[in-house]
Amino acid sequence: MKRIIILFAALLLTVSAFAQNGKSIYQKYSDAENVSAVYVSPAMFRLIGQIPDLEVGDDNVNLTPVIRSLSGLYILNSENETVNGSLRADAERFINSGKYELLMEAKDSGEVVRMYTLGNDRTIEGFVMLAAEANEVTFICLDGQMPRKDFEALLSKEMNK
Amino acid sequence: MKTLEEIENLSLEELEQKAAETAAPVPDGLERRLRQALAARELADAARPRPARWIPYASLAVAAAAAALVVLPQRGPKDTFDDPLLAYAEVEKAFQTISNKMSVGMDIVRDAEQTAGMPYNTLNKIQK
Repeated sequence: MKRIIILFAALLLTVSAFAQNGKSIYQKYSDAENVSAVYVSPAMFRLIGQIPDLEVGDDNVNLTPVIRSLSGLYILNSENETVNGSLRADAERFINSGKYELLMEAKDSGEVVRMYTLGNDRTIEGFVMLAAEANEVTFICLDGQMPRKDFEALLSKEMNK
Repeated sequence: MKTLEEIENLSLEELEQKAAETAAPVPDGLERRLRQALAARELADAARPRPARWIPYASLAVAAAAAALVVLPQRGPKDTFDDPLLAYAEVEKAFQTISNKMSVGMDIVRDAEQTAGMPYNTLNKIQK
């Protein structure tokens, strides 16, 4: 009995120690030196969606469904060499621990960009971008219930700008 | 020797008096044997592993910690912007960053497509 309890407690501690998500990664690194951090909360996303005269779309792409469906945005941009490796490792651990699917990987001139999505054919529940250069790491994590169609249309619109 | 009828006719006081007069004889060494038996019992109890008293408390503590992890709201980070317009601008910038990074991949794909199409184009020219 004693062993079972000790094992259970150890398991609980291990699970909580390794449970990573966008929020925990953001909280871990957002105050570090040479790390710029941006967090937009679900409440702020609701406010953005309620601005009446905000131009959140054009003839081709309407941003409103995407904006309204977001429930969190975490951005970390690190130029701190001591943080870079750790941030990258934590982000990869977080991606591997979930059911994230690799959307795209590009390697160019020493820069590695990976994008992952979580969800199904119709809805994206999470999006993560991890871009690593020699001395810079960028981590972007989006949470929400984004319609995949709108999300992809938005990205392609931005790409054609 | 009294008959059963005589005994039934005795009052309570008389019965108590009779009982006090005839004390039962104690066997020799009974006290010593009782002490020895009690001492042996105590030794056996001491040797037997007792269930640890802390186990229920530890179980409760673990259960409470697990419940706290699940139930209690976790303290979230603070919003970077107070102004929704600024937040919106940052969201758009984030999408722009994602698109730029995606463009890098798309450029590589386009280059690869051009390179892959070169033999096909050359063959087409030769056939014409």
